Amino acid sequence: MNSDGIFVDILFQLGPLQISNTIVTTWGIMAVTGLLSWLITRALQLQPGAIQTAAEGIVTAIEEAIHEAAPEHARQLLPFIGTLWLFLIIANLCGLIPGIHSPTRDISATSALAILVFLSVHWFGIRTQGVKAYLRHYLSPSPILLPFHIISEITRTIALAVRLFGNIMSLEMTALLILLVAGLLAPIPILMLHIIEALVQAYIFGMLALIYVAGGIQSQQITQQKQREKNRE
Amino acid sequence: MELNWSTFILEIINFLILLWILKHFFYKPILNIIARRQAGIEKNLADAKSLHITAEALQSQYNNRLVIWEQEKQSAHLALNEEVEVARIQQMAALQTSLEKEREKRLIIEQHQQETERLQIERSALTQGAQFATQLLSATASPELERDLCHLLLKELETLPPEQLSTLQAASNKTVDKIKITSAHPLDDSMRQALEQSLSALLITPGSFHYTQDSALLAGLRINIGAWVLHTNLQDELKGFVDITHGA
Repeated sequence: MNSDGIFVDILFQLGPLQISNTIVTTWGIMAVTGLLSWLITRALQLQPGAIQTAAEGIVTAIEEAIHEAAPEHARQLLPFIGTLWLFLIIANLCGLIPGIHSPTRDISATSALAILVFLSVHWFGIRTQGVKAYLRHYLSPSPILLPFHIISEITRTIALAVRLFGNIMSLEMTALLILLVAGLLAPIPILMLHIIEALVQAYIFGMLALIYVAGGIQSQQITQQKQREKNRE
Repeated sequence: MELNWSTFILEIINFLILLWILKHFFYKPILNIIARRQAGIEKNLADAKSLHITAEALQSQYNNRLVIWEQEKQSAHLALNEEVEVARIQQMAALQTSLEKEREKRLIIEQHQQETERLQIERSALTQGAQFATQLLSATASPELERDLCHLLLKELETLPPEQLSTLQAASNKTVDKIKITSAHPLDDSMRQALEQSLSALLITPGSFHYTQDSALLAGLRINIGAWVLHTNLQDELKGFVDITHGA
């Protein structure tokens, strides 16, 4: 938690791209996550050990959570939602390590994730229902509501990005300010709050993303189901 | 707090790469191993179910076989009981027959024994009677009795049946040259004369008369005419009595 690191720093330039400490930290997270995944899954057994049991527990818990929201598409949504949760938990908790900052305290990173969620909603919706059927839900129950639908899509995406950014950035800033004012051990309660807040924000972000994606997938299913019931009658 | 497009774009790319990494190196292997384990569990469950069904079928078959065995056992038991009953009836009938035969045999033996005893008693009684009569007659034998017996003989000779008479005459005609008259007591002349007259009248060719005395006769006469012997004495009567007893 360097005072100079509370804001995003450009470490180096890679052609036209500016490589910030957020990107470097993300790469580190990717490397560690990928390496751990490979180590855990390289010798899976039918009779699992402790680590394998924990890994299976994580995957099963994520799948069950997705299954609650989108029962028919749990396996399809698992990689995206699971990756979001795992990445956000690790990224949020990164701020506890001295010298490293959470990538999610950067609005660019949270915006990128929010945009990915925004695009995923449409991607999974169109894949499940087709373009026409998916786009039709913007006109229901009345075409008049189309602007409101569009505003809703934009605002919830912005809210998603800003909520995560605001919470994580404020936690780090609070800890930094307390450290500057009160001394070395004073920010410890704030760090404990950081852990809770990191987990809660990761859960909220992932759950909202799941709800949005599930809503996009099932947007026309209820209407179609009602239509089918009407036809039967 | 400003949006850095490089960070924004790279973060999107990073996340997609991370998604791919986790999908291929984390979710997929773990889901596969869970699926394999699930398949194994389901296979074990199916095997267990199949085994359970087989076990139930075997148990049902075993129960049916037990029922059949029980029925066979009961029928065999009934058949055995019937056979035993038939054999018992046959054995009882055979035993009854055997007992009947034995009873009859014993009855015959008893009857035979009774008859033998009766005869023995009778013989003993006759012997005792004969002994008693002998003792009695020995005590009571006298010349008077002999004389009465002689008179009785003479009377009988007069009334002799024709068949006996012809037999007597035939016997005397063949070999008789003398007629032997034995008495227990000495005979007086009148008696001798009466005897000679009576016998001479009966016989065709009367021989000479010889008189002897034998006290063993007790009382009475014994007349020998060739092979023919005429007994009119107590000894011969008693002897005849005893012979009858022995003959019985």
